[in-house]
Amino acid sequence: MSPDILDESSVIWFGPQHVSAHGWAAKLTIVGDYIVECDPNAGYFHRSAEKCLEFRNFRQGSMILERICMMEAFLAEYPYIAAVEKIVDLEVPERAKIMRTIMMEFNRIHSLQFWWGQFAGELGLFVMLLWPWVDREYSLDAFEELTGSRHTVSYATPGGVKYDFTPKFLAKMETALKLVKDRMPVFNDMLAGSPTFRLRTEGVGHYTAKQALKWGLSGPNIKACGIPMDLRKDDPDPNLAYDLIDWEVPVINNEEHPGESDAFDRLLQRFKEIETSLDIIEKLLPILPEGPIIDPKARSKTNRLPEGEGYGRVEGTRGVTSVWLKTMAKAQTPWRAKIRGPCFASYYSLKHIVPGARFADFPAIFGSLDPYPGWWDR
Amino acid sequence: MSKTPGSASTLARTIINKYPDIESKPLVGNKVELVVPPEMIRDIVSMIDEEVSDALPESLFGVDLTEDKYEVIYIFWSHEGKMLVQLRVSLEGETPEIETVSDIFPGLDWHERETHELYGINFKNHPDLRLLLLPDELEGKFPMRKSFLTDRSRMDETGLARPKPRPKPGGESS
Repeated sequence: MSPDILDESSVIWFGPQHVSAHGWAAKLTIVGDYIVECDPNAGYFHRSAEKCLEFRNFRQGSMILERICMMEAFLAEYPYIAAVEKIVDLEVPERAKIMRTIMMEFNRIHSLQFWWGQFAGELGLFVMLLWPWVDREYSLDAFEELTGSRHTVSYATPGGVKYDFTPKFLAKMETALKLVKDRMPVFNDMLAGSPTFRLRTEGVGHYTAKQALKWGLSGPNIKACGIPMDLRKDDPDPNLAYDLIDWEVPVINNEEHPGESDAFDRLLQRFKEIETSLDIIEKLLPILPEGPIIDPKARSKTNRLPEGEGYGRVEGTRGVTSVWLKTMAKAQTPWRAKIRGPCFASYYSLKHIVPGARFADFPAIFGSLDPYPGWWDR
Repeated sequence: MSKTPGSASTLARTIINKYPDIESKPLVGNKVELVVPPEMIRDIVSMIDEEVSDALPESLFGVDLTEDKYEVIYIFWSHEGKMLVQLRVSLEGETPEIETVSDIFPGLDWHERETHELYGINFKNHPDLRLLLLPDELEGKFPMRKSFLTDRSRMDETGLARPKPRPKPGGESS
C-alpha cells in the first residue's frame, strides 16, 4: 500500500452505537468505499469473569459462565463442569450423560436460530430476522419448563444434572423441534435460495483453512473450509454421550474453492449443523435409560477439591469452548480459571479478513463468523 | 500410550531429541505437557509449527503463583493427530518477560495482549501491546494478580459511598 493512497483515507468507527454492532466497535480506515485497515476493539462487555470465578465455589462457577453467552447457556456452562469432573472423581449416571447431551444439542439449534435472524437482519432481511426468532420462543418455552429459566438455565452440575425430564417438557421439546424441521426448507429458500442474499455473501469474507488455523478459528468457521474439526468426534468428553451413537460431522466442501470458505459457505455450514443436531437428538432419545440423574456423593465431593489441574472442553455453537482450572489443596474456590471463548479468535481474525473488502460487505463478513461479544470480553 | 505417528508422545520425543533440556509429562489421553525454559519458547513453538501441519493455537494464559512467580501456559490442538500439546513456562520477578510467539501463530497475538495487561507479563517484540479489555485507569494495575485486592480496602478508588457502619447491638436506634 503506497502512502499517498492513505492520504485520502478516512477513519470510521463501526459501533458501539451501531445497531448490528451489539457491544463492540471496530475502527475502519476507508479509501473510497474500500476498507484498507480494520482494528477491532474489545472490552465493552468486560466484567472480569475469570476473577469472579476465583471467588465462587465449584458448584457456583458454571453459573457465571452461562451469563457470558446466554444464547448457548447449556453449552457455555459445561466446560467448567467438565474441568471440575477431571479433577475430582465423580460417577455421572448414564441417564444424566444422555440428558446433558440432548440439552446441549437442543441449545445448539436454539443458538443457530438466533444467529439466522441476526445475520439476516444485519443484511437487511427484516422478515428473516423475525421468523426464526418467533420459532425460537418455543425452544425457550421448553427450557423454561425444564429449568424454570429461559436463558440462565444452570442445568448441568458436577456429577449429573439438576432436573429430570418431565412428559410436559418432552412434549414442548417435540413441538419446538418439529417446527425447526418444518421450517428449515422455508428458511433455506429465503436465505440460500434468494439471489439478493447470494450476491451479498458469495465471495465475501474469503479465507483458507491454513489461515483460519493460524488465527485460531474453530467450529463452523473452519468446518466450512472442509476440515471436519469437531471436538464431539475428536475428543469426546467421557461424561457426554456423543460416542454412544453413530453420527456424521457436518462439513461443507465447496467444489469451486476447495479448502477455502466465504460467507455463503458458512451459512450453508450452519444449516448443516442444525440437521446434525436434530439427528443426534433423534438417536439419543430412544436410548435414554431410567435411573438416577446425579451422583449421590456429588455435593460432598465438590465442597473442597484435591490439588490439580483440569481442562474441560466442548464443541460450542461457535467453536472450541474451554475452561482450564487450577485448584489448590483444600480450597473451596479455584486458584485460576481461564475461559477460552471461541469468538476471541473469530473477532481477532476480522483484522485479517476485512482489509480489501467493501464497506457494505462488512456486516456480511462479521455476521457470517457469528461473533458474540461475551466470549472475547468475558 | 500409542506410538503411531501423530501421537503426542512421538511429538514430545522428537522435540526432546532436539532440545534435551525439555521435560515431558504425559496427561490423560493423547495429550502431553512440556515444561519449557523461557529462553527456548520460540524454538519449541516454531518446531510445533513445522512438525504439526494443522496446529490450532487454542489458548495462552498466565497463572499467578504468588511471591513473584508466574506460569505461562500455551495450548495447541491438532485435529489430524487428535492430540493436545500443553507448554508450561515458569517465570520469576517483579516484571517477568518472555519472547512473543505472535509472529509464528497470529492467533496468539490477542492472548498475549490480554496476559500482558492482566498479569504484567511482558512479551518482548510483540508488535502491539495496547490495552485490550481493561479501561485506561487500570493500566499497569494488573488486576488478575493475586496481590490486586478486590475487597472493601479499595472502596475509595471506586467513588462509591462507603457503607454505613452497622448499629451496635443494644445501642441507640438511628
